[in-house]
Amino acid sequence: MPRDIHKIRNIGISAHIDSGKTTLTERILYYTKRIHAMHEVRGKDGVGAVMDHMELERERGITIQSAATYCEWDGHHINLIDTPGHVDFTIEVERALRVLDGAVLVLCAVAGVQSQSITVDRQMRRYNVPRVAFVNKCDRSGANPMRVAEQLREKLKHNAIMVQIPLGLEAAHEGVVDLIRMRACRFRGEHGEQLVWEEIPGPLRHEAEARREVLLDAASMHSDELTEAILEGRVTEELIWAALRRGTVAREITPVFMGSAYKNRGVQLLLDGVVRLLPDPTEVQNEAREVRGDQEITFVLSNSPADPVVAHAFKLEDGAYGQLTYLRLYQGRLVKGETLQNSRTGKKVKVGRLARMHASQMEDIIEAEAGDIVALFGIDCASGDTFTGGQRIALTSMHVPEPVVSLAVQAADAKSENNLAKALSRFTKEDPTFRVETDLETNDTLIKGMGELHLEVYLERIRREFHAQVTAGQPKVAYRESMTRAVDFDYTHKKQTGGSGQYGRVVGRLEPVEGEGFEFVNKVIGGTIPTEFISSCEKGFRAMLQRGPYVGFPVQGVRAILEDGAFHAVDSSDMAFQAAARGAFRQAYPQGRPVVLEPVMLVSVEGPSEFQGEIMGTLLQRRGIIVGTTEDEGFVRIDADVPLSDMFGYATVLRSATQGKAEFTMEFARYAPAPADVSAELEKRWAERRAAGEH
Amino acid sequence: MPQKELWERSPLRVFERAVGGGLGPGHVGIVLARAGVGKTAFLIGLALDALLRGRKVLHISTQESVETVRRFYDQLFKAMAEQLQIEDRAQRHLDVERNRHILVYNRKLFSLEKLEQSVGFLNQAAHFSPSLVIMDGTPRFEQTETWEMEGVARLAREWEAEVWTSSLVHREGQQCDGRGIPLAVARFDRWLAVVALLESRGDHVRVRILKDHDRPEVADLRLELDPSTLLLRWQ
Repeated sequence: MPRDIHKIRNIGISAHIDSGKTTLTERILYYTKRIHAMHEVRGKDGVGAVMDHMELERERGITIQSAATYCEWDGHHINLIDTPGHVDFTIEVERALRVLDGAVLVLCAVAGVQSQSITVDRQMRRYNVPRVAFVNKCDRSGANPMRVAEQLREKLKHNAIMVQIPLGLEAAHEGVVDLIRMRACRFRGEHGEQLVWEEIPGPLRHEAEARREVLLDAASMHSDELTEAILEGRVTEELIWAALRRGTVAREITPVFMGSAYKNRGVQLLLDGVVRLLPDPTEVQNEAREVRGDQEITFVLSNSPADPVVAHAFKLEDGAYGQLTYLRLYQGRLVKGETLQNSRTGKKVKVGRLARMHASQMEDIIEAEAGDIVALFGIDCASGDTFTGGQRIALTSMHVPEPVVSLAVQAADAKSENNLAKALSRFTKEDPTFRVETDLETNDTLIKGMGELHLEVYLERIRREFHAQVTAGQPKVAYRESMTRAVDFDYTHKKQTGGSGQYGRVVGRLEPVEGEGFEFVNKVIGGTIPTEFISSCEKGFRAMLQRGPYVGFPVQGVRAILEDGAFHAVDSSDMAFQAAARGAFRQAYPQGRPVVLEPVMLVSVEGPSEFQGEIMGTLLQRRGIIVGTTEDEGFVRIDADVPLSDMFGYATVLRSATQGKAEFTMEFARYAPAPADVSAELEKRWAERRAAGEH
Repeated sequence: MPQKELWERSPLRVFERAVGGGLGPGHVGIVLARAGVGKTAFLIGLALDALLRGRKVLHISTQESVETVRRFYDQLFKAMAEQLQIEDRAQRHLDVERNRHILVYNRKLFSLEKLEQSVGFLNQAAHFSPSLVIMDGTPRFEQTETWEMEGVARLAREWEAEVWTSSLVHREGQQCDGRGIPLAVARFDRWLAVVALLESRGDHVRVRILKDHDRPEVADLRLELDPSTLLLRWQ
């Protein structure tokens, strides 16, 4: 059955950890008849909400892995991508955001815009995701959706426009007044499935009219037709929806819906908003790169089923049905039995079984078209791979941060060893920020990731899902090293030991450069180094980056400029020039005033104003550089740059300093010079290790 | 390169000399410009110059978030590092961040009383006492009461800090006094030691001094804002 692409919505639900996202998702699935019973996240019935299908998540009451599920509403096909609420898993969030066309930003009516909402919002901005807001928990005491809308404007700089006002708040919360229809809506029935529309109660009329004015004002900015209709007094619901939609898709308006998912209020109207206001796949521009010959060109994906297939694997999952790969189709058509090619590896795979997922249940399908999200079975690939009909196409690479923490893990016995290996190979495929390495000195297996909690979750999965008994060491920070000033080099590698000799001379400069990479610039003219050996020189320099001569950590932020050199007709070789470059690096780099770099995190702590002193204290004790303070009504937010090595165990410290009333988020910011005592210690250790290695 | 030489080369020195060696602790200065001409960039330029000389800077905003203000500093730092060929940039950048605090208020909550409290708190909790305070767009001069301006001047004296503020100049119909200072600002004359104006001249922005402490003559400044980096440069 071919579907109308304009009726597809690929959306995510993004939210702060306790704002009730999972409950909302559950309700959406219930009202769209995908499930027939409701559970709570920390349900008493032990079943748990359907989207949280991992055991660990159930236990912690948080959603870790994103799963795609679909449902239908008002003739539209909605693919829901569940995004994790915890910031340590931002790569999961970002990966989910990449395939979304729109999102629902869930906010708590009591707590409002919290520090984590700010982090999530920042990520959504990065991927240009249009949003509608849902102010949840209007039944709670202290609920104030107007204040939350105000915070959306003040803190997140959204043009937040209320399309509803609450019909009663706290215990009296019964529904909403719809400012587009200008009717009040109550939710009746055991699960709020009956919508009862009625006149707006007298006491709310005035406010409703005032808020509608604001709504019309904002919407009319995006439609001349609506502006005219307002002047002529013939405004229709359809005109308002159309104008609001234009503003929302352009990310210039964030319509605000409200209700209480838990009490079954307002979810159906939010769904109306999702299908009417958020973009369909054709309204979002996605780019890809294609390699043709030795050229790389960027083009916009067409969304047309008639074009060659381009699909993006955004999620791998190992579940009850074996290995599942979630794909977002950007172009073309996917038919069961056909062959696809993995653009990265060049390997061909057969589409054996195609399914649409509904959390952990599934539905087999025969084909899927551009715009859709589907799951494939038993396909070997890594998350982030692109599948095509044969062209070498890659979707614009996603922002993947480098891991900043490592932990040593050891298996207790041979069986565990085996299971550990399986677990690690699975995780590295699923999560690009999770890496595995072997420590060359100790032979330990090191796992690396984005934070303490990130690695902890994997350790638990190793123990539970893979039944491996492992012990883990203390988390360690991943240091880097770099140089701070330019140094010239002139190095000759020469060896004459019978037979053919080795000869190569390189002249140039090493200099610091901003950023995390290494640059190689070839300025050799007149063939003083033959062209075929230029790449040998680059290889030689690169070989030195893995372990810097200063403290043995990876080198970053260095540019090598090759300006001149000399060669010998017989004795010069690839090997000789590689050795010359290595020698030049070893000689010059230590004179460039090398420094140790440590990962620094951007930490945002938010809490009641009376704890401002305590919060600042905890950050200053951790070598934090306070960047700024934001003061708001009763709340204060402090942003600080803190070295990651000082952040281990911070959650506990903050909790006890603020009676659990403050919370924090943390994102990798950059590498910055480490203090002198850290550098001295690392330098000493590296010198000892090298001395030991020489004997 | 020795630190001294580094900031001798800065065009900011020219500006400083033109206003009698700088604004001076305990004084309030103001920069005027039309919307989008570069008030914030000019003020951050002043701030970065002070930070690179090891001074402490408090930046107050009621319009931008901490993140946005910081990004603005980062961009200008980068441009300034290029302009002055600063070595050891990462370390210098770290010093800048260490000596700067960005204070953001919900506009409705901002008051001088609150500001005084916050600065007192910063001094107590983090031993932070600024020698330069940037109040970008705060207060809003058209709505400002005399006592508020008096309050800002009093705070400048109490903190023994230089306080730089800014104000919008409207395109048309704004009445000015003989020196070219809009009347909305001129009424606070006694509390303002230096008044500078950024004028858009086609593809560049010229910096003019309208008032320089008590000196009757003001220097004719040959400085402008580089349109691409928004940094001060010689004409």
